[in-house]
Amino acid sequence: MEGRPAEDAVLVERAQHGDTEAYGELVRRYQALATRTAYVITGLSTEAEDAAQDGFTKAYFALARFRTGAPFRPWLLRIVANEAKNRRKAAGRRPTVDLSVAEDRPSGDTALSPEEAALASERRTFVLGALGKLREEDRLVIAYRYFMQLSEAEMADALGCARGTVKSRLSRALARLREVAGGEVSAGD
Amino acid sequence: MTERLDDRDLERTLSDIGARLDGPKRDMWPAVRTRIAERRAKPWWSRLHLERGAFAPVAATLAIILVAGLLLTPRFADALGHLLSIPGLQIYRVSESPTARPNASPPTFAGQRVTSVAEASRVAGFTVRTPAALGEPSAIYVETAPVRVTIVYASVKGIPLSPQAGVSAIVVEFKGTLETQIMSKAIGPGTTLDAVPLGSGVAYYLAGQPHQFFFRDPAGNIQPETLRLAGNTLLWTDGGVTYRLEAQVGLDEAVRIASSLR
Repeated sequence: MEGRPAEDAVLVERAQHGDTEAYGELVRRYQALATRTAYVITGLSTEAEDAAQDGFTKAYFALARFRTGAPFRPWLLRIVANEAKNRRKAAGRRPTVDLSVAEDRPSGDTALSPEEAALASERRTFVLGALGKLREEDRLVIAYRYFMQLSEAEMADALGCARGTVKSRLSRALARLREVAGGEVSAGD
Repeated sequence: MTERLDDRDLERTLSDIGARLDGPKRDMWPAVRTRIAERRAKPWWSRLHLERGAFAPVAATLAIILVAGLLLTPRFADALGHLLSIPGLQIYRVSESPTARPNASPPTFAGQRVTSVAEASRVAGFTVRTPAALGEPSAIYVETAPVRVTIVYASVKGIPLSPQAGVSAIVVEFKGTLETQIMSKAIGPGTTLDAVPLGSGVAYYLAGQPHQFFFRDPAGNIQPETLRLAGNTLLWTDGGVTYRLEAQVGLDEAVRIASSLR
């Protein structure tokens, strides 16, 4: 259909044949996802953008090895995540990261009362703090499911594990998140 | 006061966090495109992921051998009358140093005027290509010593006329490859150089007031080349032919025009 965005596979094939602008379209399409993935690992937004850009660059030069017909998105995220992990290791930083979100963004749930909105905000802060204390692989599996809304198949590709183990990995990561959070959140005085 | 987070609250909070995570503030493609071009422009050995400095002893040894060779055997230097590129060591000879020509006389399009691209290809001895994005050429000239084809586009919608030549754009094609090692050294003040990916190679975009660049002719000699319009210029090599587009257009438009070469 005219005006309909090209499928990833079409853009990937064009990029494999030297059409760099087709790759540019893929970068624009997935730059937010890639940056968020890197941010979940590095905890620093500037470094996350840098890691995402390097990930896109490496993915470009790896396009020749990209399996035709495979989904592009998880393949890309795997490269970006590796880039972000390498940076964190190279910087020798502690595994704990400080994550934050834009609090000034209007909530999707407009039905929230001011009190409920305040409680939701506190919950976010609390859960973010607990997330930052999780191991990298736990943070990533939670992020892929809840932040990026990847399917199980995509998560398996992005994490480099068998599809059958995705559910158990997510379940263990959530259990550890609850453990770290102590199962409680302050609701204010 | 505390509240226990049940599974549903936890999942809802996680989804809420996901919706509020910041993404990049601007289009990432220009930065990625630059990184791709930079990596392509690097010599093959720099892509081997060697530790920083791992190649230094080899380079230093080669440098010493080379310098000794040059000192001991002058003929050896003549034989190496083209650029040798080793990390940390560059030797090159050019017949003329780069100079700006701010008051250069208006360019003339020298050579034999031909009536078609096919005729230009026959006279030049290589396949002449034209960018479809510029439409039909207004004139084509072929010089034969050395071989150089100049394709003139008198007026193209959206591209201002060059004050020097009174035309919108020219495309010049000749046998040879770009001498990228000298590229950045040859640009003068007021000129910027960007490397961008183009097809499977790299193109170089000179903006501002470029006047000169270098290429290696088929005999291996490094030659200076003076630009005609002294305006924004895109340079690239494909299949042993160097192309240059001179037109007052931005980088993206220049790449778009170059990509339409047929």
